[in-house]
Amino acid sequence: MKTITAYKCKSCGHVMFPHHYRCLNCNGLEFKEIKPTTKGRLLTFTIVDQLPWGIDERARVLGVVEFDNGVKALGVIKAANPRIGMRLRAGWKPVRVIAGEKVYGLTFRKTK
Amino acid sequence: MPAAAERIENGPASGGSAVKNGFLGVASGYYDIVLVVGGEKMREVIGPKATDVVASMTHPEAEYIYGVTLPALAGMFARLYMEKYDITHEHLAMVAIKNQENGLLNPYAHIQMKITMEGILTHPQAHVNSPIVADPLRLYDCCPVSDGAAAVLLTTEEIAKKLKKPRVMIAGVGQATDTHTLQERSDPTDLRAVRIASEKAFKMAGLKPKDIHVAELHDAFTILEIAESEHAGFFPMGKGAKALENGETRIGGKLPINPSGGLKARGHPVGATGVAQIVELVWQLRGEAGERQVKDASNGFSVNFGGFGNNVLAFVLRREA
Repeated sequence: MKTITAYKCKSCGHVMFPHHYRCLNCNGLEFKEIKPTTKGRLLTFTIVDQLPWGIDERARVLGVVEFDNGVKALGVIKAANPRIGMRLRAGWKPVRVIAGEKVYGLTFRKTK
Repeated sequence: MPAAAERIENGPASGGSAVKNGFLGVASGYYDIVLVVGGEKMREVIGPKATDVVASMTHPEAEYIYGVTLPALAGMFARLYMEKYDITHEHLAMVAIKNQENGLLNPYAHIQMKITMEGILTHPQAHVNSPIVADPLRLYDCCPVSDGAAAVLLTTEEIAKKLKKPRVMIAGVGQATDTHTLQERSDPTDLRAVRIASEKAFKMAGLKPKDIHVAELHDAFTILEIAESEHAGFFPMGKGAKALENGETRIGGKLPINPSGGLKARGHPVGATGVAQIVELVWQLRGEAGERQVKDASNGFSVNFGGFGNNVLAFVLRREA
């Protein structure tokens, strides 16, 4: 499955997403590219009823997920009755159309 | 004429940034007089387009593509902050009610309307007036989309002494940054940039939060007024909502917050806000704030919050004897 690329600092092990040229923890310059694990837990979320221009949906749940290997990322939550701490499995689907092109991103469904 | 002109773009902190740079220009001795003007025209487009333009300040790869909006970031922050510090929806509504009451006393306020707890929250049909924007935040937890402008004239002490107005000094300026995205913060409930910018401004002014008589905080969302009042040091962490509930932050209370109506009622023309906060403090410290005058105010404080707290300015203003 396609997914995001995160960056693990070679000096201190700090995991970053998105990319930065210096480690936010130790200012290190070298990183190992890593992929998030398939599962994680929901850290926080919001149900957005007022979406921006360009997203023709009634509402969308957005949330921050911490993957089991420490990568943290925002994504679209497709689980009913979201709650903090919920276990989620990541997917990779179109999340927005920008300038006529489908843009893919992280989506999450409920899992054990 | 001729003078020199510059444009400063720093998102919602543009106004504060412009005042800071004007201050540096005068304080360095290079300029005698700097006119700082902040302005924004946001109502030429419909709401969802304005929301999208504002959302373009979020991270292009990690946030924007998902349809995240500034209210959505505030909603995710509010969910954690409210849980951590036992803040209720009633507390959020109290901020909105207080600031719109203050706005009624401000002829320059965008929103001039009294609201009630029943009308925006507790009535079974209250969701008609105040629908969910980004849960837990409702319409009345969010500032309006506004057109507006504000200006301040900064000059040297020598020139100011020749003028007839009471002198108001920029006694302290602080600025600090935080991560671009919310998820990169080790504690997403910690508004680190607000904390550091405030500490710097107080240190430079040689004053403490208890010395402040009036504050203008960046209440783009009701939760932010409570959170900023704690991070700036006016109340211990988790006690801001209680102070609000006790009426300490009303005009006439121990520390009036947002007597202008704040972003909630004065409006939030993005680039103008940081300047408008300074304008309000100057009026308050000069005793020119009319019906919303905070009694005997001689020290003022403001927070101008850029992005979702990734670039924040704080100011301490002092009336000179």
